[in-house]
Amino acid sequence: MAVYTPAGVAARRAHGRHIQLSGPWVTAREAFWIAVETLRTHKLRSFLTLLGVVIATTTLIVVMAVVNGMNTYIAEHIANLGANTFVLHQFQWAQSFDEFIKAQRRNKPIRLEDYDFLRDYLRGYQAISALAQIQPGPEARYKGTTIDEVDLMGLTPSHMDIGREKVAEGRYLSDQDNNHNAPVCFIGRDIVDKFFPGTDPLGKEIIVGGRGFRVIGVAERVGTTFGISQDNFVFIPMGTFRAYFMPRPELLVFIKAPDSKHLPELEDEVRALMRARRHVPYHEADTFGINASDTLMSVWKELTGPIFAVTIGVVAVFMVVGGIVIMNIMLASVTERTHEIGIRKSLGARRRDILWQFVIESAVMAAAGGLVGVFLAYAVTWAVAAVFTAKVPLSAVFIGLFLSAAVGLFFGIYPASKAARLDPIEALRTEN
Amino acid sequence: MGSQVASSPVQESHRPADGVIIRTEDLWKTYDMGEVAVHALCGVSFEIARGEYVAIMGPSGSGKSTLMNLIGCLDTPTSGRYWLNGRLVSELTDDELAHIRNKEIGFVFQTFNLLARATALHNVELPLIYNGTPAEERLERAKEALRVVELGDRMYHKPNELSGGQRQRVAVARALVNNPSIILADEPTGNLDSATGAEIMNLLDRLHQSGNTIVLVTHEFDIAAHAFRVIGIRDGKVDRDERMK
Ligand SMILES: Nc1ncnc2c1ncn2[C@@H]1O[C@H](COP(=O)(O)OP(=O)(O)OP(=O)(O)O)[C@@H](O)[C@H]1O
Ligand SMILES: [Mg+2]
Repeated sequence: MAVYTPAGVAARRAHGRHIQLSGPWVTAREAFWIAVETLRTHKLRSFLTLLGVVIATTTLIVVMAVVNGMNTYIAEHIANLGANTFVLHQFQWAQSFDEFIKAQRRNKPIRLEDYDFLRDYLRGYQAISALAQIQPGPEARYKGTTIDEVDLMGLTPSHMDIGREKVAEGRYLSDQDNNHNAPVCFIGRDIVDKFFPGTDPLGKEIIVGGRGFRVIGVAERVGTTFGISQDNFVFIPMGTFRAYFMPRPELLVFIKAPDSKHLPELEDEVRALMRARRHVPYHEADTFGINASDTLMSVWKELTGPIFAVTIGVVAVFMVVGGIVIMNIMLASVTERTHEIGIRKSLGARRRDILWQFVIESAVMAAAGGLVGVFLAYAVTWAVAAVFTAKVPLSAVFIGLFLSAAVGLFFGIYPASKAARLDPIEALRTEN
Repeated sequence: MGSQVASSPVQESHRPADGVIIRTEDLWKTYDMGEVAVHALCGVSFEIARGEYVAIMGPSGSGKSTLMNLIGCLDTPTSGRYWLNGRLVSELTDDELAHIRNKEIGFVFQTFNLLARATALHNVELPLIYNGTPAEERLERAKEALRVVELGDRMYHKPNELSGGQRQRVAVARALVNNPSIILADEPTGNLDSATGAEIMNLLDRLHQSGNTIVLVTHEFDIAAHAFRVIGIRDGKVDRDERMK
């Protein structure tokens, strides 16, 4: 028989003094497993309890994912619309509604004369092109197949040096085509996939907007933007466009600077020339818009501030609501487990041991809610990414988990301190 | 102010001699029940030396459990003084009391007081958890204690998978796992039939033989007969104190 002698006590006690240091850690582990056990045995109740934290974490991560996705998108797509390119258009893009209404009255469309003028008088640009478009896009047909709507655009051949569309087969539109109003077209991948699966599109005639065009070239795939395909286009020469569809189209004029250093200069020059040409008095606003890709960037950056502000508000509300629910459940749990607390105290649990137990239980529970929120956020982000753009940054996962654990910790303090302050003998006498 | 200065030497003079593990002096416990005050203890004084085996006897309601809870530092007296191992308990802080419950006292309750959701092994580990014993040593000692109470083959059973006698043996294992100075048992056989009760008493006898101090509450004479000394309580007062054997 093993011997338990008081003589052994003294030796063990001396030993016990430095062991004491690891005490909080040991109780923390005990508390952690109690929390996990509670979660396992009350799955549904725990989930409902944690709904607030789940929603808050999901919201936070999804918003961060969308913002992150937008950032990536803008960096990759709009920015590569031409790093050093800007667009002269009747309107300034992405401006406030009020300003847009004002501009609607004041601004005049950009015409071919404007384009010719700039081409001849502007100095220091690398390329300049004009683009006209029919909205909504017309129908396209080839033999028995129909595409309800294609992006039909009239382009000056110089757009080859500016646009994203690179030649994959055949050739781009030429000055020759433009000068002779040739019925030719340069088409995108989607058109090829629909009309010419497995066959060579070059030289074939397709019908767009009721007119026939011979395919002279096919572009490489561009990809999607906001989930919308960018390969559903039919480019025709500007001359042909005017002859067939619109004698006086409203234009977008693309201007490319040789490098980023000369971009602001070039913008100023265009502005000065256009103002002079339109006789805009010096104290009045432009009657046209100059849109650079970084204009869009800055608009987006200004937008992210309010988006985050709203998100923080929403997340905070859900977290607080979630925290209060957790606090109430923990208070109920303390009452329910008074006898257990009594037992633990009778065995030497100090106040801080009991405090830790319940605070950690609360934090682990909330963190578990955060974890569910993370999974949910991945699911939602996956769905969003299918139609828009979103990508969960790892930092969002950490912030979400950390925040939910912190909420559990904070709202666990009050119930835990109630538990810690229980009188040992009273608690032990409570039967449940 | 002056009284405080004076009180220290007085306490010193009442300090129990070496070898005395428990000394109570005029302990009172009064429950204030609004209109009436219930005096559960009315001036209890006695000493218990290291290695003694004491039975506290008395009729129901005489204050035995109240006294045990005071000795076990679970409760505090309304007045009076109590020394445990030479330390005046009423001067101790909450944490120090917890430490004493953990290290000095092994409590065995009539109703077992095991954690229902934990295994026998984990129940026995609990006191070691609260003094920060490292996991390996903790497991080793908890298993050893369970073997002492002959439950080596029931370590992973939960209380509801054990018989009453087995549960009480888990409780005894838990009480002795920390090598306490005293084992306090409040009617440890109260919820058991006489055969299983005898098992538990055997266990306590063995623990006493190996040097443990044991204080036992009972109102059965044949249980009290295991002890070497009987303290009788009636209406909150000690009415007899006799050594036997
Ligand atoms: N928490 C309490 N509040 C009020 N009165 C109490 C409380 N605890 C005990 N008492 C009273 O103190 C007296 C002594 O109770 P105690 O439990 O110590 O008796 P006991 O000797 O252990 O009895 P039993 O043999 O029935 O267990 C009783 O009159 C009881 O009613
Ligand atoms: Mg009793």
